[in-house]
Amino acid sequence: MIPFVAVSLLGLLALSIPVGIVLFLLGFGVDTFFSAFPLTRGLGNMVWSASNSATLIAIPFFVLLGEILVRSGVATRTYAALDRWVSWLPGGLVHANIATATMFSATSGSSVATAATVATVAMPQAEKLGYDPKLFSGAIAAGGTLGIMIPPSINLIVYGFLTQSSIPQLFLAGLLPGLGLAVGFMAITAIICIVRPELGGTRRTFPFAQMLRALVDLLPIIVLFALIVGSIYRGWATPTEAAAVGVAGALAIAFAFGGVSRDMMAQSVIGTVKITSMIMLIVIGASFLNFTLASAGLGRELTAFLGGMGLSPLGTIMVVVVIYIVLGFFIETLSLMVVTIPIIVPLVVAQGYDPIWFGILMIVLIEMALITPPVGLNLYVVQAARKSGTLSEVMLGTIPYVITMLVMAMALIAFPQIALFLPEALK
Amino acid sequence: MELAMIETLRRLNRRIAMIVGAMLLLCATFILADIILRQIGTSFGGTDEISGYVMALATSWGMSFTLLELGHVRIDLFRGRVQSFGRALFDLFSMVVMTGVIVMIALKSWPVVERSLVNGSRANTPLETPLAWVQLPWFAGWLWFAIMSACVTFAALSLILKRRHAETESFAGAFAEQDTLQ
Repeated sequence: MIPFVAVSLLGLLALSIPVGIVLFLLGFGVDTFFSAFPLTRGLGNMVWSASNSATLIAIPFFVLLGEILVRSGVATRTYAALDRWVSWLPGGLVHANIATATMFSATSGSSVATAATVATVAMPQAEKLGYDPKLFSGAIAAGGTLGIMIPPSINLIVYGFLTQSSIPQLFLAGLLPGLGLAVGFMAITAIICIVRPELGGTRRTFPFAQMLRALVDLLPIIVLFALIVGSIYRGWATPTEAAAVGVAGALAIAFAFGGVSRDMMAQSVIGTVKITSMIMLIVIGASFLNFTLASAGLGRELTAFLGGMGLSPLGTIMVVVVIYIVLGFFIETLSLMVVTIPIIVPLVVAQGYDPIWFGILMIVLIEMALITPPVGLNLYVVQAARKSGTLSEVMLGTIPYVITMLVMAMALIAFPQIALFLPEALK
Repeated sequence: MELAMIETLRRLNRRIAMIVGAMLLLCATFILADIILRQIGTSFGGTDEISGYVMALATSWGMSFTLLELGHVRIDLFRGRVQSFGRALFDLFSMVVMTGVIVMIALKSWPVVERSLVNGSRANTPLETPLAWVQLPWFAGWLWFAIMSACVTFAALSLILKRRHAETESFAGAFAEQDTLQ
């Protein structure tokens, strides 16, 4: 059954059938060939119970929050403010790219929106100040991926929903690795620019008074993050409710900055509906496939499969990492995550690993998928905002950051506490 | 004619998406009010249940809008490497398969509604919501999605038969890049 599912999965995806539909087809296939009972009879109930979910409504809320912030011009102010604070570092504005992406990750759940926003705001500066276009655009593409790691993260909500793990714990577990990646990105930028100063453009310092004034523009995002995360951990709100709080907060910020208009609200709202349905078709398909696989005896088969392979737990994880890197060249974040969860997570958990920890490791690996060619959405988003140069420049520019992500993945495997420390400390 | 039909459907589904979005905003307001009420020791009760229903409806009714905006993710591995006729065939095939699956989902969703109607089922919650009230519009959303998929499929097929295959890309192709920027 596992080889059947894996081969059909790749074959159907290669035919350009929508990812969500592929998952349903696989479910039908498992039902037809491997199940003693007619599982498709339960399809209607599956679709109903997967979408009638108070947990998943956090997805449209977090998408909406991001859309409001992006469309109301808050991003532009944040970027300018961070420029004041970090442009003295070797690498100058590149750090502002990464820092802005990090701050937006901390409030919105979407990586692509983050990359698009930062790219639009930052690109005009790059040429003017003489930055190397490769490093500059690579940093935006990479920084944008942090959106799915630093809480609140839509991908972690979906992971928690499909594996029945605690979403607040996943959020806590993602915080340190997410910040670690951001610091790692900035460190590697600084190192590159110390070794090859010509890549780094002009370093600028600003008078302290200007830096202080810039803080005013950073404050809203910091308050919003504190509001969302704080209300979850103070026990005032579930992650879903915190998402609703976040929407209200984002609207308040947009109002304060004068960025709210009828047109902007309409665009934000229908953008949210579009992204939500895209995600939900895949999530419902994955729930159905999950259900058919479990009913057809995936558990038994996995145990036999692992016994036959004779792999140690560490060996299994290494194989899994390689699988994600290879698939990541061709499949995008959420799709990659959702199509692999039904098979990979039971396999890893059967080897005694913590599902919360694995969720975070998986996020690092699928973040890489966002910026590895030929299919890497953030690459295209950044290139589209550049309006000049070639796509391969962006690809080359992301290499240092891909290496940083690999180092983070290895660090997570060697020291699971990087992810598990916070959830255990605050239990 | 095909393109005019697609344009009409796009406008229609955009309006539906606005309604769905407004519903989500309303739901967020409701949740917010409940959080505040809880701080002063009272509560509407049932926000979780209502959020679930809103999500089910938003999902089923949003699907068609996403379809017409080319929002459902496809992996563009081989499709991008062939000429426009080949791409049109890839797109047609994927639309046929998609329509089949969605029709199947719509058909299998009806028994869920029917059972609630026949038994007069109520949610096992303090609100005791009659389930059919929510499941009927939820089912209608999937049915609408099935009809929309079928329309897109026929439009694509018809254009291919008329040898106007290059024109199918705008409504049956893989994602439009400007849109992902949103």
